[in-house]
Amino acid sequence: MSLRSAVASRNLLYLLSLKELRTRYKKSIMGWAWSLLNPLTQMVIFSIIFLKVFIQIPPTGHPSGIKNFPLFFLCGLLPFNFFSITVGVAIGNVQGGAGLIKKVRFPHEHLVYSVVIAQFVTMLIEFSVLSVALIIGGNMVLPWLVPLLVILVFMAMFTTGVALTFAAANVFFHDVNYLWGILAQLLFYATPIIYDASNPRIPRSLRLIAAHSPTGSFITAVRNVMYDLTMPSLRDFAVIIVYSLSAFAFGTWVFTRLSPRFAEEM
Amino acid sequence: MNDVVLEVDHLTKTFRIHRERANSLKQRIAAKGRNRFDEFTALQDVTFDVSEGEVFGVIGHNGSGKSTLLKCMAGILQPNAGSVRVHRRMSALLELGAGFHPELTGRENVFLNAAILGMGRRDIATRFDEIVEFSGLEKFIDQPVKTYSSGMYVRLAFSVAINVDPRLLIIDEVLAVGDVTFQKRCLEKFVEFRNDGRTIVLVTHDLASVRNMCDRAVWLKSGHVTGEGDPKELVEAYTESMLGSVHQTETGSTRRGSGELMINEVEMYIGDNPSPVMRCSTGDDVRFRLFYTATKAVPRPIFSLIIDALGGATVSAPCSRDVGLVPDVISGDGWIDIVMRDISLLPGAYDVHTAVQDFNKQHEYDHLQLAARFDVTTGKPYESSGLVTLRPEWNFTDG
Repeated sequence: MSLRSAVASRNLLYLLSLKELRTRYKKSIMGWAWSLLNPLTQMVIFSIIFLKVFIQIPPTGHPSGIKNFPLFFLCGLLPFNFFSITVGVAIGNVQGGAGLIKKVRFPHEHLVYSVVIAQFVTMLIEFSVLSVALIIGGNMVLPWLVPLLVILVFMAMFTTGVALTFAAANVFFHDVNYLWGILAQLLFYATPIIYDASNPRIPRSLRLIAAHSPTGSFITAVRNVMYDLTMPSLRDFAVIIVYSLSAFAFGTWVFTRLSPRFAEEM
Repeated sequence: MNDVVLEVDHLTKTFRIHRERANSLKQRIAAKGRNRFDEFTALQDVTFDVSEGEVFGVIGHNGSGKSTLLKCMAGILQPNAGSVRVHRRMSALLELGAGFHPELTGRENVFLNAAILGMGRRDIATRFDEIVEFSGLEKFIDQPVKTYSSGMYVRLAFSVAINVDPRLLIIDEVLAVGDVTFQKRCLEKFVEFRNDGRTIVLVTHDLASVRNMCDRAVWLKSGHVTGEGDPKELVEAYTESMLGSVHQTETGSTRRGSGELMINEVEMYIGDNPSPVMRCSTGDDVRFRLFYTATKAVPRPIFSLIIDALGGATVSAPCSRDVGLVPDVISGDGWIDIVMRDISLLPGAYDVHTAVQDFNKQHEYDHLQLAARFDVTTGKPYESSGLVTLRPEWNFTDG
């Protein structure tokens, strides 16, 4: 790729991401508030179920000592929502980009990247709000925002890889779209969002899956820095890096191989 | 010879036509082993070069592979064999406003669309005013494009596309856009392009524009290159073949009316030649012969001959009453000759209908729709477009 087209294409990515952000809440009165309302609703629902119906004790952060289920829940939900929403929207964005793909030559992967970028920006806004809540709740998270950002960047890479794979496959089989809906639901419960993966009352095998599945690793790491106020171990970091690099490499490979046939298949 | 800017080299493209479209995984698995599709060859071994500064035309029927070729040249489709090599900054206009988002403003869409067409941000920023000025939409540029009329939408899209500043421009038949003023501006822009020594590839079935604008052309027929070279000769050959095929597919005429007096057949003759023909040239002396049968005596009938262009416009409809020729009674068989000297029709295909009515045109004895179809080929005088020649005389005066 020549420098000129690389520059041009970076510009395209920027503008496509901007379009994602600008058009999302057009014609809605609440606008961007919806972006925050959705996780807040989920938080209220699960807090009531966890604390009032199942009468559980909120997990305690070590060494932070914080004991607050809504905050614990949001630390896991925000990165997970970023992952699952991004993949879902990316699938639709590539499918909905048929008009463009059939008429113009442009890098198709930008249809996925732009969704990742737009959702990443959304997640950062959500995390700023959550950080304020955590500080009020007694967790001084400000110095931890740097490692958080590092983890989130790796998570974005992982998400991009998964999104590329699913979006490309969906062009050939629209089942992928529906499959993702079910898979995302399954992952939501397999990932330690509403529970603590280190809880000794959970069977060991389930704990292992929950903590070390790809999404589980990322959420555990995020919770380490935001809720527990501790650094994830080097081993945990290594796992995260391996997950994100291999997913990104695989997704890129699949997408690059399949995208020349998009125009015909759509 | 100038540098070659576009090389299409033994290009072959096939598509799979799925007998049962397996768009879901289940269907695909169920059909495993028996791949239910036919191969359809859209392009077969197509080869041609386009040189710098040329205006190059691609003509062909619907389904001849024009669009596939266009998409291969634009890099949207990948060929099965052969290659397309592009040596200059290229812009392909297949559809105007692809990627326009209705909720975004004109300004935002200009930036996005230009980026999709491959422009950098700085390029867009410097050309932005020019783009907007060209579209003539200064007042509406900060409105969402969903509020635009379809004409405004297309104008903005075209302005972006034309300002991408390509050295090689590939255009589908998207040119007939906007009002007359805007079309004129587009044409000027093309001439400007051409005078700059840029290369244009025009894919169209608008034969007039190929004949008038192109330096060279190829003719595609069922995916093969049937001819290449001088656009005038090619267009002539193409028209001939197309007219021929129309006759083969002609399904026949329809008739209405009370039927006491009917036109059985219409024949056409040129000059004194005694054998009927299906084709004449501009400037020929043409005679139409209408054969009639009357099953009973019909008083004071009037006859009409209607000549329509293929598009449906009536070019001429002479009627016997208009010239005061009203026989007292018609019975039995016979024919009527209508002679048209030095015929003014320009090249194309024409349909002939006949009508027989009573004197007050209140009752219809017979109406034969599509009694005949004939072709007019190039003769004298020659004009490249229009239906009839008004035999103009040209005078140029200096100073």
